[in-house]
Amino acid sequence: MSLLVAPLMVLWPAAALAVLADGRRRPVGWAAAGVLAAAVALLAALAVRVATGGPVEVVAGGWPADVGIRLRADALGALLALVSVAVVLAALVHGVVSRRSTRLFPALMLFLTVGLTGLFLTGDVFSFYVFFELAMIAAYALAASGREGRMVGSALIFAVVNLLGSFLFLIATATLYRATGTLEMLAVAEQARDIDPNTAAVISVLYFVAFGVKLGLFPFHFWLPSVYGSAPPAVAAVLAGALANIGAYGLLRFQAGLLPRELALAAGILVGIGTVTIIYGAVQAIGRRDAREVLAYSAIGHAGYVLVALGLGGRVALAAAALFTVTNALNKALLFLAVDLRGPLVGAAFAVGAFSVAGVPPSAGFFGKASLFDAGVQASSAPTVLLLFVGGALTFVYLFQIYQHTYWRPPQDHHHASRGARMVVAALAVLVLAVGLWPEPLLALSDQAGDALLRMVP
Amino acid sequence: MNLFLALVVAVLFGTGASLLLKPDLFRVVAGLMLISNAASLTVITSGLRRGQAPIHPLVPGEPVADPLTQAMTLTALIIGFATTALLLAMAYRIYTTHRSVDLDDLSRSERTAEEELERGTAVEQVETEDAEAEQEAAGTPR
Repeated sequence: MSLLVAPLMVLWPAAALAVLADGRRRPVGWAAAGVLAAAVALLAALAVRVATGGPVEVVAGGWPADVGIRLRADALGALLALVSVAVVLAALVHGVVSRRSTRLFPALMLFLTVGLTGLFLTGDVFSFYVFFELAMIAAYALAASGREGRMVGSALIFAVVNLLGSFLFLIATATLYRATGTLEMLAVAEQARDIDPNTAAVISVLYFVAFGVKLGLFPFHFWLPSVYGSAPPAVAAVLAGALANIGAYGLLRFQAGLLPRELALAAGILVGIGTVTIIYGAVQAIGRRDAREVLAYSAIGHAGYVLVALGLGGRVALAAAALFTVTNALNKALLFLAVDLRGPLVGAAFAVGAFSVAGVPPSAGFFGKASLFDAGVQASSAPTVLLLFVGGALTFVYLFQIYQHTYWRPPQDHHHASRGARMVVAALAVLVLAVGLWPEPLLALSDQAGDALLRMVP
Repeated sequence: MNLFLALVVAVLFGTGASLLLKPDLFRVVAGLMLISNAASLTVITSGLRRGQAPIHPLVPGEPVADPLTQAMTLTALIIGFATTALLLAMAYRIYTTHRSVDLDDLSRSERTAEEELERGTAVEQVETEDAEAEQEAAGTPR
């Protein structure tokens, strides 16, 4: 069995079995965590293989190459799959040890992971849609799984807005198929140069809207704060740390990978929307008191950096976008998991996360910001460099506002003060520091990711 | 034929979009259903060509209808069906908690709940809910 299929083959039966089990029992939760850990190990092995030996391909079911669905892992897909599944693992363990697990929580997390793994590792546009819907449906159910009516309300809005995005994606995919006659990403990238510019522009805009909704970019962000603010911490961490990666990956893959000509046309607009997103997110975050709302607006703001990098274009900027997505996912997962806990250990972990988001060495976030900075300098774009400074400074303000409000005050109430949950948060903080201290593997992979995106169009 | 189908898709999408903007939750779900069907119809239209059914054995020399769009449409319909079921379940859950499916009512009751929470009147209720949750967790067999 190929290393590419193995994670899916491990996750899929486990997810189907987990539906039958009662997720409130601890052993079920731990079993699910074990399966996810195995998937993380397999994906790490896959990432090493991709980093040393180049992209891995498999045609599912042993069909001839132009009939079957092709699974394909290049550096970008393997890297994001690894990080997303690791974030889901941390959130699952957090949910299980803090007794916030509901009956279907482990099963939904596993289904979400199947979807995530599949969509990052597929080389086919339509199976991307199928995996993507699988992950999204699990996410809608997770967001609605709380006990309060308010949560179901915000989950419904989340579902309606994102489904609208999904159907736009489907329409764009149908149009793309009509124009190119194929669904395989590499072939699409080759054919896309010759299609009518007007059609290509429509497809490109539809994809942009679909993924912009997913990522929570400025004009499409309105569903995001209420969902991130009301979901349980584990679910919010998954939404911000794993699902948001779909949006970033989609923008990179479909815009920079498949339709680079249209992307270059819209570069100025993208940088503009990205800048507005960054400033809007930061200003809104400063104005909020509730820690989760601050983090939600911070998530909106940080989505803007990916867009700015995409607008700058070129190998360095695309690699920076990939690297930034990875570090941002880790940071957001850490902060969302930490925000409801108290104590000196969590306070320290939160500070690590806050420094990382702001981009202070030796945290992982430093390299995310530094690579963006590099991209800005290489493109000799002074506004981008200035934007990075301003954005970083604003980030400091709002994150240390939270820190001051919550960790500098004597604890008034013990929110589910489980020791295990605090250990999960501490482990994530150590991971963020470790990536910051030994960034070479991540840098190498994201470099290759930028290369892989440029090489999709020969 | 293409123009006709394009018009049908446009009407479906437009009706769905206008339903989506209504304050009634079930209308919102129905609107999304229409949009999902508009998307499915777009998919099947994207491979519209006349020919024999793509089932083995094929008559050689004659054109074959595109099987790929049919497979895609089936998948898209199933996904649309699943999401509709999920949305309806969520809308029903909102109805059972709030006794209303009107979005304006919902946001009003949300606001009053938040104000109560700020004033501290609802704190006790939240605490008892938490205690119940713990009991529930402790009561389940291990």
